[in-house]
Amino acid sequence: MKEEIRQKFSLFLYHGARIVLGIVFVYASYDKILHPAAFAKVIYNYRILPDELINLSAIFLPWLELIIGSLLIIGIGLPGSVFISNILLIIFFCALMYNKARGLDISCGCFSTSEGEAPESTFYLLRDLSFVVIAVYLFFKVFFISDSAGLKSPSRRTP
Amino acid sequence: MTFINSQIWTNTIKQVLIIALIVLIAGFGSNKLRSDKIPFVEDWSAKSNLVTSSGENLEISLSEASNLFKKGEAVFIDARSRAEYDAGHVKGAKSLPYKEADLKFIEAMAGVSEESAIITYCDGETCELSMELAVFLRNAGYKNVKVLSNGWSAWKQNSLPVDNGK
Repeated sequence: MKEEIRQKFSLFLYHGARIVLGIVFVYASYDKILHPAAFAKVIYNYRILPDELINLSAIFLPWLELIIGSLLIIGIGLPGSVFISNILLIIFFCALMYNKARGLDISCGCFSTSEGEAPESTFYLLRDLSFVVIAVYLFFKVFFISDSAGLKSPSRRTP
Repeated sequence: MTFINSQIWTNTIKQVLIIALIVLIAGFGSNKLRSDKIPFVEDWSAKSNLVTSSGENLEISLSEASNLFKKGEAVFIDARSRAEYDAGHVKGAKSLPYKEADLKFIEAMAGVSEESAIITYCDGETCELSMELAVFLRNAGYKNVKVLSNGWSAWKQNSLPVDNGK
């Protein structure tokens, strides 16, 4: 009986994580798809990508987010969408860390000389970290089989 | 915990490729169809950012700016934070941090006529506060607003007059 509850909880956690991460991606993509020029400006403000890649990212990245977000919510193509979510979120996290370390205020793309003048950057960092944690958890759930958990991840259906 | 099998990696690669294909089609397609499309490659250099949406270049060179300064014909506006302004600024410059422009505008611009030559500056080639502030001031009715790119650094490097920090 105890084992059953544990399995149910594990299943609940797995599907919850998948749906929450999916919603985050779909929500994040919505505004960017509507306003590509504004999103290009945001990417520019990170001061990381070379100029040639800024608009290309602004055009394609939101669609990538929308599609993997939808796949995560529906629950199909999970290995692929979980894999891409991990890569994306880790890249975003590194970009935020890098800019925090060099004191760049990403809201305006300007370097602030005084420390701690941009507390919002810490918030972004922690928020992104929590998404990374969910994504890494899903990665382990989808790509590895826990010996006891009775997960019905799509990968199990493979012969 | 055991690794599933190599099958999952084959699946993953297939799915990633399919997703990439859909993204390419959606991105190209939507950007082709929409009215506010953006070019695939755009000039994002610091200079191009000093051009307004109507195509007017607001940049002023350091020599022009220092000439106006010497003749006392321009009002310098510091777009950086108050703390940075307090640590040192162009001599006689007014402080109007862009991030608080709405709140501090009336106080900072008191006594500046709409016809005066105004030069906004911040610090660093990529700093956009000065440009944003210039656009803000133009919208507020100031007709003659220019931006001194990389203003504070350039000003100091050329040993032009400054007010030093308290």
